[in-house]
Amino acid sequence: MLVLQILIDGFAIGALYALGATGFTLIFGVSGVLNLSHGALMVAAAAAAWAAHTEGAMGSLASAAIGLTVGVALALATFRLVVRPIQRSPAIRAEEREIFILTATLLWGILIQEAIASLFTSNAKTVPPLIGGVTLLFGVRIPRNEILTAILCWAVIGILWLWVNRTRTGKAVLAASMNSRGVILLGIDLSRIHVAVWAVYGLLAGVAGVLLGMFLGVSSYSVGPLTASAFSIVVLGGLGSVYGSIMAAYAVGYLETMTAYLVSPAYRFIPALLLLVTVMYVRPHGLLGRR
Amino acid sequence: MSKGMPPLLGVRGLTKRFGGLTAVNKVDFALWPGEILGLIGPNGSGKSTLVKLLMGIEQPTEGSILFDGAEIAGLSTHLVARKGIGIVFQHSRPLERQTVIETILLGLLPDSLFRLSISAEHRARARAIAEKVGLGAVLDRRPSTLSFADLRRLELAKALARNPKILLIDEPFAGLTASECAEFSSLFREQRSQGKAILLVDHNVRTVAALVDRVIALCLGERIAEGKPVDVMRDEAVRRVYLGGAIEAAPRNGTGAAGAAPLLELRGVGVRYGKALAVDQADLAVGENEFVSLVGINGAGKTSLFNAITGFVPHSGEILWRGQPVKGLSAVRIARLGISHCPETRELFGDMSVRENLDLGGQRQAKAESDDRLAWMFELFPILKSRQKQNASTLSGGEQQMLAIARALMTDPQLLILDEPTLGLAPIILEQLSKALDALRQTGKVGVLLGEQNVTFALPHADRIHVMDRGRLTWQGSPDRFVHEAGANYLI
Amino acid sequence: MAKTAPLRPFWPVLAILALAAFLPLGVSGYVLGLLTLAYYFGVFAMAWDLLFGFANEVNFGTTFLIGVGAYSAGILDNRYGLPIWACVAAGTAIAVVGGLILALPALRVSGPYFGLTTLVAVLLLQNFVIIFSEVTGGEIGLVVPDVITTDAAGNYWIALALLATSGVILTTLSRSAVGLILQASGQDRIQAAALGFNVTRHKLVAFSVSALFSGLAGSFMVFYMGTASIGTLIDITIGVQIIIAAVLGGRRTIIGAAFGAIFLIGLTEILRPTGEVATFLVSAVALLVVILAPNGLTGMVARKARP
Repeated sequence: MLVLQILIDGFAIGALYALGATGFTLIFGVSGVLNLSHGALMVAAAAAAWAAHTEGAMGSLASAAIGLTVGVALALATFRLVVRPIQRSPAIRAEEREIFILTATLLWGILIQEAIASLFTSNAKTVPPLIGGVTLLFGVRIPRNEILTAILCWAVIGILWLWVNRTRTGKAVLAASMNSRGVILLGIDLSRIHVAVWAVYGLLAGVAGVLLGMFLGVSSYSVGPLTASAFSIVVLGGLGSVYGSIMAAYAVGYLETMTAYLVSPAYRFIPALLLLVTVMYVRPHGLLGRR
Repeated sequence: MSKGMPPLLGVRGLTKRFGGLTAVNKVDFALWPGEILGLIGPNGSGKSTLVKLLMGIEQPTEGSILFDGAEIAGLSTHLVARKGIGIVFQHSRPLERQTVIETILLGLLPDSLFRLSISAEHRARARAIAEKVGLGAVLDRRPSTLSFADLRRLELAKALARNPKILLIDEPFAGLTASECAEFSSLFREQRSQGKAILLVDHNVRTVAALVDRVIALCLGERIAEGKPVDVMRDEAVRRVYLGGAIEAAPRNGTGAAGAAPLLELRGVGVRYGKALAVDQADLAVGENEFVSLVGINGAGKTSLFNAITGFVPHSGEILWRGQPVKGLSAVRIARLGISHCPETRELFGDMSVRENLDLGGQRQAKAESDDRLAWMFELFPILKSRQKQNASTLSGGEQQMLAIARALMTDPQLLILDEPTLGLAPIILEQLSKALDALRQTGKVGVLLGEQNVTFALPHADRIHVMDRGRLTWQGSPDRFVHEAGANYLI
Repeated sequence: MAKTAPLRPFWPVLAILALAAFLPLGVSGYVLGLLTLAYYFGVFAMAWDLLFGFANEVNFGTTFLIGVGAYSAGILDNRYGLPIWACVAAGTAIAVVGGLILALPALRVSGPYFGLTTLVAVLLLQNFVIIFSEVTGGEIGLVVPDVITTDAAGNYWIALALLATSGVILTTLSRSAVGLILQASGQDRIQAAALGFNVTRHKLVAFSVSALFSGLAGSFMVFYMGTASIGTLIDITIGVQIIIAAVLGGRRTIIGAAFGAIFLIGLTEILRPTGEVATFLVSAVALLVVILAPNGLTGMVARKARP
């Protein structure tokens, strides 16, 4: 049945978006950075996984691992090469820092996008799925990998939750997102926390990118829409609120899936954008926004 | 001024609530033309919120503000300004890209969308205003090149340019030398003689006693006294707020650490914020396990001094920890040296539980030690034990302060720096805090540097007292000597 | 403002303009075409600088305004065959209206939310164009039957004239009393209000002026190129390039933005032989400038001029 198909597909897409958005929110909450190269990071991870398989002849698991590594490496590079110099630059006044970071990360994203296009052409690529085959769920035929995608996304989100709430570093990160001065007063090194957060972000974006590559395929043209949907979701849910991001991710995921199935795949981004516009008019700080 | 006329500004029942916090509580007062009314109160008393309400920067929850008979409560700032109320902000906020004359011209321009040129008449008036406040020589300079006093003059010039009927002046004297204060005072008097009504906000009655005609004192958002300056200084309620009650040195247990090796030494320390000199030539020492109280009103410079010690602001002069200079070390490094700073703002992790806050304090130690310390904290502050699982943001003010101190102690410091712990707390909480500090002193394990406005709280535990006034340490000695010499007169 | 902000660059700029006016006499049609595009780009960049540099509002959505103006003008010509001047006028007017519709919600929020609102507007327009492709030409683009002229020199002079006029108007505005109020509103909202100014209204006006010039140049460009498409007018990358141009040239100088635009187009052209890597290199250079020299070219010049 169509309804079931929508429910299941929407769930998987929502899980993917939730993972990506969580990373985006995490970086904003702790570092205060809206990383507009987010989509580029995801696509780079997927492209690396694809290349490892197609040109390196590696198995699907190894390729996925390569993709994750690239994700983490690029995220750390974004922090060290782009974000941190601007945060520390004496030539930029405090109020203008955000704008510069927005612009610089946007440029950085374009750089990565162009690099991907020139290294791997701009055609769409699919990453080989971890599990092949199709199965029946509630009477609907679903690729096994899609189920795996949803499970993996939630598993990663779960691990993230455990990390933040149960480990020392994770708790320090959470505390830093609430009050960075408080963390310094306790003698906890904030700069190490920043590196940890960006690495985790790279991991999240990498997983989301590789899984997306398996599920729908990516190309260098996906970079823009992916970044756009990530921050639409995060703004919708409220900047800084992880629960809000997850809720918004599912709202957007289901809206897109419904539109793709019931109207046309070409229009699938529209309802989410309209929702975003409405929310910005009515509740500019998002559904659960803190700031 | 003739009291027979209706007041220019009439405030009735003005209230402002931020969620659960009532910053201003049913305040009434009136302001007549040709008078200077002083608005006095310690930090947290609601003075700044009240000024923001009058200027439309915040909207009142309840109450009315009548200006010349018309209701202005709830109007937005630019409308309030156009009605004839002007404000001199507490902190200079110059337009960095505009010169002095351009900034003053801004005050003279009407709110029009279509004006392209600036008339010669406006320029002449701008120049005249600049001359009057003493900025005649720096007309074409940008704020980054101006001195602190000139920046304050610019703030005044901006407000005067609009020629308002009411001037709200927020703490004008902070950071100014005696002669600059006199200069500003005579400018205010001049405005008064021209029939303006002035509301002058300050921490302390004594500094403005000679200037104001009447005083209103606020505490915790409420009006606690009103009248002539001399009467307000003698008022019981006001004295309790500032001094905390009768000043007496409580008996101490002779753990007076005379001859102990100095833990922390300050030599000729100065702190500057841009142009403002917040701390000037401070000499101070805290010995091992010594308890030193630094008393002074808000704005005296205690917080700046503490921030310099813990590395949050740069300093001139020398700060030595166990003989080694700390200049240039990051705040994290200094915290790891064994100095734990519990600031006025507490900086708790609001959405985390009490237990989690405490655990974060003990993060850098082994679990066993951290657990031991936690048990000790629960002994010192039993209420924290019963509220372990509660989120820090839901605690009362007193409980939050206890949590902040306990969290700081969890880091196993050799020196605890406490900045104004009693701010805004009820007397019964102060008793509990005092007991905890006493117990802490008995252990003889931690040195304490306490910055306080509330002298009654600061005296009993201290081995030594320093007095801080306008950035300088003006007096030091034992608590007994303090009671005899400084007595009740230095604060109010 | 003559005493305090003298038009120091006035004479050099006039000289450069004069030189530029005579270029067609000795330069190839290809270079003229490049410069024509650069000049239109310059107008976009100057309009952006007015909004960001003065009113302190980050506008990622310049391309929204350009797109609205350009497509309106193009569609009016394509479907209804109106004379060019009418299309341009209408395109400009519609761009201003579009700007106001965008500004109203956008100005209620601040900081990153404002920027994001403008970004969303661009995305919406992009999708809009694709959906209503029978009217707009969709992803392929809109073909416009009329062009102003096919003569390279003629197009060049029109673009130069537009650049010069916009430059004069925008610079005068930025140095006028209204400009001063705008600067205050952008730097310190509360202070400006305390001095009696209705900040929101002034920012709305700044927005409209920015929209007007963006729409005007966009409409002209449509009749220069003979087409309108997402890739040339609306895409995010175009918006970013406009910002880069303004930042490269030096924020808050208006004129700097024009120079930044010319520099950027020139750089892209010089790097063209490298093929695909061209965009990469240009973006890399731009990124380096943003990080290492945030005050841009005019900032660098100013620093050398000061002793």
